[in-house]
Amino acid sequence: MNCEECQENLSVYLDGELDEALSMSIRTHLTLCMDCAKLCEDFAVILDTCQTEPPSEIIPPNSQALWCRISNSIEGDIKPPVAEQPRSGWRFSFLQVGSAVLGVALISSLLTVVGIRNYFEPSGEDFTSRSAATQTTFEKILSKVGLADTPFEARMRRLKEQESAIVYWDKRVQAQRAKWDNKMRDAFDRNLNEINQTVNEYTMILQQDPDDDLSGEMLDSALNDKMNLLRDFSEL
Amino acid sequence: MIFNVVNNARFFFEGKTTILLLLSVVFFFAPVEVSAQKKFSKSYPASQNVRLQLLNRSGTVTVEGWDRQEVNISAYLEAPAANVAPQSLSGTIYINLVKDNQGRGDVGSVNFTIRVPYDSKVDIETKVGNLNVSNIRGGFVRAHISSDGDITLTNIVSGNVSAQNGIGNIFFDGEIQSDGNYRFTSMRGDINLRVPSNSAFRLVATAPSTRNINLGSFSGGNMRFGDGRRVVGQFGDGSATLTVTNQRGSIAFIRR
Repeated sequence: MNCEECQENLSVYLDGELDEALSMSIRTHLTLCMDCAKLCEDFAVILDTCQTEPPSEIIPPNSQALWCRISNSIEGDIKPPVAEQPRSGWRFSFLQVGSAVLGVALISSLLTVVGIRNYFEPSGEDFTSRSAATQTTFEKILSKVGLADTPFEARMRRLKEQESAIVYWDKRVQAQRAKWDNKMRDAFDRNLNEINQTVNEYTMILQQDPDDDLSGEMLDSALNDKMNLLRDFSEL
Repeated sequence: MIFNVVNNARFFFEGKTTILLLLSVVFFFAPVEVSAQKKFSKSYPASQNVRLQLLNRSGTVTVEGWDRQEVNISAYLEAPAANVAPQSLSGTIYINLVKDNQGRGDVGSVNFTIRVPYDSKVDIETKVGNLNVSNIRGGFVRAHISSDGDITLTNIVSGNVSAQNGIGNIFFDGEIQSDGNYRFTSMRGDINLRVPSNSAFRLVATAPSTRNINLGSFSGGNMRFGDGRRVVGQFGDGSATLTVTNQRGSIAFIRR
């Protein structure tokens, strides 16, 4: 299975509506592909939020009346066309026009670079295994002007996302846990405890030394392991 | 004197009777235990490069390569017996005990022995239990244990190998193929890799908690040990990628 196929079927997979053969292929792909696993995690968080949080806006009882009000207010906002006043013309030299075009091109290039950089999700490695020491000068400048996350902020954001996914899968495990036999329960508890100890260990190291790349990477890996353990046992 | 002899004889016979009674009780119940274990067996004709995809709940899974174009599945089912319903679809044999037993609370362990053609692709997974794979030279070997269990991969000649477990050991004995991708990951346990001395690979070995990384005869390559938590480097022309991570255990290389 490739990433495209996996991502096409991800939503249906999370809803548990895929046939088993495809589900298993997706599961296999998710263990091998970090990008798709990350996407799956994001989907899971969205699903969880939709299921747990009540809608913040009250849906109007009569949608027709609402649309009528909207079109009235749009029509009210449209002003009658104003007749154009003859203006004195602007006159620029060729040099001025050239400089202006060059300036616009430079600014738009910079904005495009920044936009692309912020639009695409950085990989897990970018998030967690990098410290301020490994940042390029360009990245440092972007961080300083607030256009990009610092490694610490990125790591915190990633941790928050992982925690949300863990909460989601943990709820599903708690719903299933009573059905397991003792052997299954003991194995699950033992492994979860091991992972929790590892997470605590790296959290403490990172509190003392936030620039420890390897501990950041291992914490990320341990949290992924925790999420996978919960996900694997939630289907029992 | 005579009284004593009679008394001793009575005691001896009474003791014997008690033992006989106990033994009869033991033998009465013993067959019940034996009959509680069911056996499942099924064979499928296999195409070239057949793929085996197995998801078990608990129990030991043993996959062995053999010189027949046939997949033979045999399983011992502990009580309460699980439902086992393999499927053969477009060159893949699927066995999914999680799906086949969905909604059932108490399901006994299932111990599989599966024989597949040498050139098969093997993808096996279990929630709890050991996984053993031997004599496989197909394109793909993946063994994944969600929690407790050892993984033993013996005589593997494959370009894509992945083994992952929670608490348990991982042993790999096989060849490192050029441009291959090898990944071994454990939370706690020992990872032992037995590979030929002429293997060539790029290595990232990480054991941050124990710092116990023993490269053996492979330490002579261009390896950087850093502070001992991670070893990064290249051995030979380095065309294969070898990633070994053991969060709270050791990593050792053994020359094959």
